[in-house]
Amino acid sequence: MAATKQKNLWYVRQARRKRRFTTLLTVFFILVQVLWVGVPIFMTVLWSLVDPNHPWSFPNILPEKLSWGQWMYVFKYTNILRALKTSYTLAPCAVLLSFLFSLPTAYVLGRKQIPGKKFFQTIVLLPIIMPGMVVALFLSRVFNAFGLAQNFFGLVLAHTLMGLPYMIRVLTTSFEAIPQDVIDAAENLGANTFVKIKDIFLPMVRPGLLAGMIFAFTTSIEEFNLTFIIGTPTFETIPTILYSFLGYNFIRTNASVVALIMMIPNIIMLFAVENFLKSDYLSASLGKL
Amino acid sequence: MERKNVSSIDYLLLIPGVGFILLFIGSSIFITITQSFGVLSVTGKSQFTIENWKAIFHDKESLDSILFSLKIGLLSSVGTLLFAFPVALFLRKGGSGKRFLASLIKIPLFIPALVAAFLIINLISYHGIVNEALLALGIIKKPLRMLNDKFGWGVVAIQVWKNLPFVLLILSSSLASIRDDTIDAARNLGAGTFSVLFRIYVPLAMPGILVSMILMFIKAFGDFAIMSVAGPTYPPSIALRMRNTATLFQEWDKAAVLGVIIILTTLFITWLYSRLAEFVTGRK
Repeated sequence: MAATKQKNLWYVRQARRKRRFTTLLTVFFILVQVLWVGVPIFMTVLWSLVDPNHPWSFPNILPEKLSWGQWMYVFKYTNILRALKTSYTLAPCAVLLSFLFSLPTAYVLGRKQIPGKKFFQTIVLLPIIMPGMVVALFLSRVFNAFGLAQNFFGLVLAHTLMGLPYMIRVLTTSFEAIPQDVIDAAENLGANTFVKIKDIFLPMVRPGLLAGMIFAFTTSIEEFNLTFIIGTPTFETIPTILYSFLGYNFIRTNASVVALIMMIPNIIMLFAVENFLKSDYLSASLGKL
Repeated sequence: MERKNVSSIDYLLLIPGVGFILLFIGSSIFITITQSFGVLSVTGKSQFTIENWKAIFHDKESLDSILFSLKIGLLSSVGTLLFAFPVALFLRKGGSGKRFLASLIKIPLFIPALVAAFLIINLISYHGIVNEALLALGIIKKPLRMLNDKFGWGVVAIQVWKNLPFVLLILSSSLASIRDDTIDAARNLGAGTFSVLFRIYVPLAMPGILVSMILMFIKAFGDFAIMSVAGPTYPPSIALRMRNTATLFQEWDKAAVLGVIIILTTLFITWLYSRLAEFVTGRK
């Protein structure tokens, strides 16, 4: 008896020790991650706030004086405002087009058993998998031939191309998740195609649609290769401006400001999507189905 | 799934999405291939020739670029895996604080590649915080050159930082499919931590490991932006050389050859890894 008790105690202690070890490890990983992600972002924020008249140079650990001077400078003397305007008009257009194009395709991929489905699903991934610069360079030859290079509509088409894979994939999973019973019931009650689209498909794919739109939107905001080859110098977006600040005229303070302008909306939007997807609209609305 | 018969309307409905992608990607690949043989050439006359291919393979600088890109692709995929696998393993089981940790890790996923490049450039530049810290700790005597260095460590660092969460997501989903029973059984039969790791976790997560390595390799191999801001001045990456050949020197045909090489390498690596995956999992 005593031996068993001893043994049990040993197990309890072992389990406790293991739990404590896991907690310690979690704390350690969190600390490492805070440094790993936080330090680069913190440094950039700091750099963007360095006062233009008090440069931050080698021996100083912290900048002498902080101010919004760099932000003022960037907005006053660079093309950032125009680039912001281009980026944020381009993205909604591309999102809208990719939504219109992907809706019928996602419907077929999500709800129909057709021969060659795997093949079509692979095709959908091509814009993500294919090396961006190759596609950009030689698509620009095609665009040149059709007068689409250095052209706003051409850029919208290019950004639509990059947004389509995300849109189609997200919408396909949404269409797959619609229970067949609901559609059968609607048909039984005499719903025609239009009513089915309006009252079943669109409301039910809405969460996926929002997620897909945000993915396509951020892809368009981030898109560099195609914009750089097809759009510059006529059109500048935020990434191409950042690239020019990082390239031959490397100005760290200006680049910090542009980097933050580009980064902050992205992080907010994608975290919003994440929370949104967790609430799983479909299963919530249909109970146990 | 609907049980209706296949109708041609279904294929018609695929056209806006799949057709759009096929048209754009297909035409660009088609032009790349024809132009590499001098057909449909923009500059000069259109005539079938393999001179451009010969020229590229006799050009030492181009070969340097190809080798350099291969090296960066390989190092980035292995490096990201080495960082991501332990974290994925740790996050497999839930626990307090781990959700917070998981969302913290995900942040670089939402940061555009160019911004990520800039964030890391700030740290590893000549008087950056990493060099200063190492100097202050007395580990090194002189600042290290990590940015635009000859070897390309700067590029690898950026790729690892940016793509760690992406690889982590793939690995996590593949580790999550391992049943706890398997591990309990192994432990019961006397397996230690080491053999559980190498005889259960690694083999069972192998498909995920291979997929993440393929995707990382493709990303890093064909990359233009990061290589151009953080890579060495010589050799330029293959995508950088291709773009310079095309737009600076106006030798589109030669650039097309480099483009075909990038596409073929991407396809070859994908094929190689998928064969490896078949071999490892024993499935066809």
